[in-house]
Amino acid sequence: MVVNGKKLNIGYGDHTVVRDMDINIKAGKITSIIGPNGSGKSTVLKALTRLLPYKQGSVFIDGRSLKDYSSKELARNIGVLPQMHSAPPDFRVKELVGYGRMPYQKWYQKNNSEDDKIVDWAMRSTGVWELREKSIHECSGGESQRVWIATVLTQQPEILFLDEPTTYLDIAHQLEMMQLVKKLNKENGIGVVMVLHDLSQALEISDWIVVIKDGKKYDEGKPEDVITPKMMKEVYDVDCDIIHIAGREKPLIAYKEIC
Amino acid sequence: MDSTKKRKVSALRVGTVWLLLAVLLIVLSLTAINVGSAGYSVKQILTALFSSEKSTVKTVVVNLRLPRLILALLIGASLSSSGAILQSVMRNPLADPGTIGVSAGAGTAATTILLLFPQLTGSVPLFAFGGAALACFLIYTMAWKGGVDPTRIILSGVAINSVLGAYNALLQMLHSDSLEGVLAFMNGSLSGRSWSQVHTLMIYAGIGLVLSFLCIKSANTLQLGDEMAKSLGVNVSVTRVLLSAVSAFLAAATVSVAGMIGFVGLVVPHISRILVGSDYKQMLPTSMLMGAVVLLAADTLGRTVVPGMEIPVGIVMSVIGGPFFLYLLRKRGKMIGS
Ligand SMILES: Nc1ncnc2c1ncn2[C@@H]1O[C@H](COP(=O)(O)OP(=O)(O)OP(=O)(O)O)[C@@H](O)[C@H]1O
Ligand SMILES: [Mg+2]
Repeated sequence: MVVNGKKLNIGYGDHTVVRDMDINIKAGKITSIIGPNGSGKSTVLKALTRLLPYKQGSVFIDGRSLKDYSSKELARNIGVLPQMHSAPPDFRVKELVGYGRMPYQKWYQKNNSEDDKIVDWAMRSTGVWELREKSIHECSGGESQRVWIATVLTQQPEILFLDEPTTYLDIAHQLEMMQLVKKLNKENGIGVVMVLHDLSQALEISDWIVVIKDGKKYDEGKPEDVITPKMMKEVYDVDCDIIHIAGREKPLIAYKEIC
Repeated sequence: MDSTKKRKVSALRVGTVWLLLAVLLIVLSLTAINVGSAGYSVKQILTALFSSEKSTVKTVVVNLRLPRLILALLIGASLSSSGAILQSVMRNPLADPGTIGVSAGAGTAATTILLLFPQLTGSVPLFAFGGAALACFLIYTMAWKGGVDPTRIILSGVAINSVLGAYNALLQMLHSDSLEGVLAFMNGSLSGRSWSQVHTLMIYAGIGLVLSFLCIKSANTLQLGDEMAKSLGVNVSVTRVLLSAVSAFLAAATVSVAGMIGFVGLVVPHISRILVGSDYKQMLPTSMLMGAVVLLAADTLGRTVVPGMEIPVGIVMSVIGGPFFLYLLRKRGKMIGS
């Protein structure tokens, strides 16, 4: 499943935030969107997933206009984890994950045994099976983030859109989340589009990187081609070196000393 | 936040709450039939009910207390259900039917009829219902901008409510000598209601309450937030409008029969949420049951606490509901789901 955005202008009210954006998401790959705070990453993600209507341009999913998809059909094909999300704290994990089956149901239907199997599968794949009887507030930040991924996974999407899936997570949980993303991509062939702030992680995990600066696409390409000292200087105004280390497939980013 | 309020809600807990409410409901119903300006013994009542002869006991119980009892139950359940549903629409535990103009609309229509067209007084319920529906419709039309979101609904609600409030105040000022009927309407009361009102409300509340049950899944999904609900394939704006319509319908039906009764729609869902959690599968039925209990208690209290005088149930609810709500807020701090 491929997603193509062409000449997108996106914004809020009269205020246009993203201009002239061409963005192409390849099937079954991990694509990361990077850029400074407020550059428009979430805005692009929302437009591609129809959470926010775009003002101009077009979005095609598998050659069909985004506007022609019914809400449920879209939700069966793409799963979105927005940057901000919350559930009533007393909802149970397995219940929340169960909502992922909604795109396959009529408004009055409940989960049947077939749905339950998929819910179980999603909880196992994301490692939240043990938490299933707990309520959301009993989960740690990392756990609840995985619960949300499980919910979205239950939609059985071909592409997952994740907006900063690692925010608020400690480094161990961040890496765990990245491993989970990689696993879902590899084992289940799910395409992933995510907004990331940690560039080392983006560099390591992504097949493709899109850099956004001030609502415009600054560059896109393979991680090693895009993440360069020049880009870091121009987009983030940060000095760094890219260091290759023997025995490591991907290079590391060494930021200029802080003091 | 204290940890007790967020504990998992077990089936046992829900069952216990429902059982307790059911027992309360029965006890209160028996009390409501029993007490009043004329006190009868249980034996007197039973003998009167099962004899074919006419008696004062029978008249009082069958024609006065019984319809009033049923009305109180229906109204309590309807208002609580209305409030509970609206709170999911607004994603705000402080929303109540007044927010979407139901009270102001009904009040405006009733005041207009009572003061300017007294010859139509008999049709006040009909006009009140229409006024409530119209005000609600107006608020949603104003709030609609490619969709509705809670903030815009609340803002246009504030605007419409204040305009209607000013109109009401003006009208009452100009007709300050004939306000009796208006006051009775504004301070919702069940005094002097009869079987005909019961029959009307049974139909409307019946429809409304059944519709509420159909709202459960949607209400739950709205609690996940707009973006999450949308990404699950829910048309959030349409859902909001449909749920609001059910909520407004229930509130308008009760307002037209009993006038304005505040606080039930606000306090009862709140307590239910504390007791059984925020899942509407449990929370909505709990609210209905508790609403019936609370309103019946308030009405019975209102007509017995001062001998020889009736305090309208709307006033009892405000007097008890206000401070109780304050107490809850202070004790519980931030509420679940907010
Ligand atoms: N709901 C909104 N209404 C109005 N303006 C918004 C809204 N959301 C975002 N913006 C504006 O759009 C611009 C881009 O925001 P966006 O959320 O896309 O940035 P981002 O790249 O995701 O930033 P971050 O890294 O902080 O998440 C910002 O200037 C922001 O102020
Ligand atoms: Mg963002």
